[in-house]
Amino acid sequence: MSSEKQLLEELTTEEYKYGFTTNIEMDIAPKGLTEDTIRFISAKKNEPEWLLEWRLKAYRYFITMPIPTWQNFKHPDVDFQDMSYYAAPKEKPKYDSLDEVDPELLETFKKLGIPLDEQKILSGVVAVDAVFDSVSVKTTFQKKLKEQGVIFSSFGEAVQNHPELVKKYLGTVVPSTDNIYAALNAAVFSDGSFVYIPKGVRCPMELSTYFRINAENTGQFERTLIIADDRSYVSYLEGCTAPMRDENQMHAAVVELIAMEDAEIKYSTVQNWYPGDKDGNGGIFNFVTKRGICKGDRSKISWTQVETGSAITWKYPGVILKGDSSVGEFYSVALTRNHQVADTGTKMMHIGKNTRSRIISKGISAGVSHNSYRGLVKISKGADGARNYTQCDSMLIGDKCGAHTFPYIESKNESAMLEHEATTSKIGEDQVFYLNQRGIDSEQAVGLIVNGYAKEVLNQLPMEFAVEAQKLLAISLEGSVG
Amino acid sequence: MITQVSSSLYQQLVGSFEDPLFAKEILESRRKEAFEKFKDTGFPTAKAEEWRFTNIQPVLNQDYQLGAHLPGQAVNVDAANIEGVDAYRVVLVNGFYRHDLSDTIEEQGIVLSSFADAAQLEAFNKHFAQYADKAENPFVWLNTALANNGFFIEIQAGKIAQKPIHIVHISVADSQTFFQTRNLIVLDKNAEAQIIETFVTEDGSSKTFGNTVTEIVVDENAKLEHYYLQQARSQSSFNNHTEIIQRKYSLYNNYNCTFPGASFVRNTINVRMDDPNIESHLYGITLLSDNQLVDNHTVVDHMKPFGESYEWYKNILQDSSTAVFNGKIFVRLDAQKTNAFQQNNNMLLSANATINTKPQLEIFADDVKCSHGCTIGQFNEDAKFYLQSRGIGEEQARTLLVHAFAFDVTERFKNETIRNHVDHLVELGLKHN
Repeated sequence: MSSEKQLLEELTTEEYKYGFTTNIEMDIAPKGLTEDTIRFISAKKNEPEWLLEWRLKAYRYFITMPIPTWQNFKHPDVDFQDMSYYAAPKEKPKYDSLDEVDPELLETFKKLGIPLDEQKILSGVVAVDAVFDSVSVKTTFQKKLKEQGVIFSSFGEAVQNHPELVKKYLGTVVPSTDNIYAALNAAVFSDGSFVYIPKGVRCPMELSTYFRINAENTGQFERTLIIADDRSYVSYLEGCTAPMRDENQMHAAVVELIAMEDAEIKYSTVQNWYPGDKDGNGGIFNFVTKRGICKGDRSKISWTQVETGSAITWKYPGVILKGDSSVGEFYSVALTRNHQVADTGTKMMHIGKNTRSRIISKGISAGVSHNSYRGLVKISKGADGARNYTQCDSMLIGDKCGAHTFPYIESKNESAMLEHEATTSKIGEDQVFYLNQRGIDSEQAVGLIVNGYAKEVLNQLPMEFAVEAQKLLAISLEGSVG
Repeated sequence: MITQVSSSLYQQLVGSFEDPLFAKEILESRRKEAFEKFKDTGFPTAKAEEWRFTNIQPVLNQDYQLGAHLPGQAVNVDAANIEGVDAYRVVLVNGFYRHDLSDTIEEQGIVLSSFADAAQLEAFNKHFAQYADKAENPFVWLNTALANNGFFIEIQAGKIAQKPIHIVHISVADSQTFFQTRNLIVLDKNAEAQIIETFVTEDGSSKTFGNTVTEIVVDENAKLEHYYLQQARSQSSFNNHTEIIQRKYSLYNNYNCTFPGASFVRNTINVRMDDPNIESHLYGITLLSDNQLVDNHTVVDHMKPFGESYEWYKNILQDSSTAVFNGKIFVRLDAQKTNAFQQNNNMLLSANATINTKPQLEIFADDVKCSHGCTIGQFNEDAKFYLQSRGIGEEQARTLLVHAFAFDVTERFKNETIRNHVDHLVELGLKHN
């Protein structure tokens, strides 16, 4: 028992690897949120009039909205006036070549394992858009992608270079009135990534955005918009880290995916924001709205997420299955420890005929954390032959944590078939014992069991990320014996 | 149509709280507290999470007269007969215990009385409004504050009831009526009983809406088999709240069956397992037709270690009916070594039927085994074809398949006669096109 306790102790004191800060001169907007703040951001980004109007409309809506109360955790007191909504490294407005990027910044991303130097990356594996606080620092492989007609750029650039596309699709999947944080994001979003895959193109490499919060007292509000035109394919990854700080920082992003006929979007997230210390001080509030729409027939959207960071993770990546025979998938591993909270899940809205969705959610809670799965599967009247399979499993490590499931299943169609399964258990003592017998110590055994438990989800990740995610799980779980 | 100008049900109810109902101050204070709570919250709206799928407003926004005690009026309760069951029959007309229509129980150790008479009894004082009122349900507060009729049953320590007690709730009204019933069932240590409650409507009755609260105490090592048979007609609407408190080594089994008829039924069944080593089973069969809306909300609350619960609800929906299932399993921090199982299966037999289901687990202890499952589907065409190819007519094949679907639940009915009765009602309730 004593070694078990000791190991649990270790688990709860495990340090956060990415907690360093970068000393770089920053351009930070004064604290507070007013219409002027929004005009300031819009002017900084040199935005057209319609976008400013759109932001202001969202802001006016935002100030009328109350903080929701339905979630399964106490909403922290957030003072929207006590943070800064824009922070950017003070430098030239645009980096044309890598030489112009502040070496300090390059060093930061290198430390995070995200090389921005194309030559140094093995030929064309992943194209990266690196977002540092409020702005995109560098997008790699843009030229190579352009040859195929693929647009991959920061959101700010897209507004300048492809305003017609942005205007057409912005806010069509997640309207600015969707929820309070979507409204806030619409009002103050600073940057993010924009992807357009033209008809019939299979994106030649993985696209990726790496988010880094650095500045103090700021919130990060980025927006990602991915459009996959007819018969195209894209796989997109995002990763994120932040320095260790005592105060909480807000991250309220919006992601919109649009898949046209026969298109496929695969969106993967490895979320490792700073989770706060072992007493629950500090950490990121990760309040994100992610939604995709399968607009065309036979289109497919797949969400994969590995959530190990953030003080509070609150998001429900969803898919609107509008096109006939479209497919939505959601694979999630959420690991919480110490005082972390995760309230996550998905929404699958079946509208088209013969639509299919599949949900695999694995929650692991340790310490005094709480992990909730909240999902909605809705079959509307016209969704003949819709099919859903949901599996949400929870694993508990330690006797002070909680695992909760809140599945909503609504069907208005007689030909729909839905299945939902959920289990909750602790790590099997006999499984640990079996591995012990074969000379594997308890710590490794737990890592093995958890990785096996999460495998169904990890398998969905692109190779490089799967390795990273596996390591992340192992590190986060070090020393946890059930 | 003549439009009557009358005050809302809420106004009427709030206005009707006046006279002290009980002689004892302690009971009065519980009433008053509940009344204040109800006055503050009012009736729930669809915005409340617990009422998200069940809009009760159309049921409430009707002109009701309050209560309807019909002493001495003859009523026909044949609709509630269960073939082959030899039981003590207790009749409640619009919630009022009717001594003249009920059997007297001569067995030693069984106390049966009306709500009014029970107020003198010690067990009543001890348990009345001590459990259900904590469930944050405004209808319970309303009931505690204003209900003045219902039944009280106590099975005394060590008593094993020889015959089941069959309680018949019949709704009879000349004009639209709202009535409230308050029941208390107490099983003392080592007692055992079977209680069957049937809900029926008298032919030609006007619309009624009944708000019933039943508190059940199952003491140490006691066993209760509890059957609900909802067979009322479309004029009748119900909001039934059952709160069960179990003590160690006790067993409580609930069989909740709803058949075509009653246009609105909301059942809230909360099982609180406030001691170690408790076992509970909740089974449900819901077969609906026409425009019925039936909502089953259950809570299994594991508060102490070594509890075991098993829940299985099956819904079969025809026509434009809607079913709601919300099963919550709580495993509290203390409740290690809990074993909880929950399953909800649904069969949609019509294009206009709707099912909303929310099987929910909230777990705060780590050494537990909990699982839930939920499916929504329809007739298996292959199975039907298989049966037809063997010379079984379509109609019969459908009946067989529905029986097969319900079998997982019906086979668990302890009382075989009731099982046959339920099978029969399923057959009657199935529509054939």
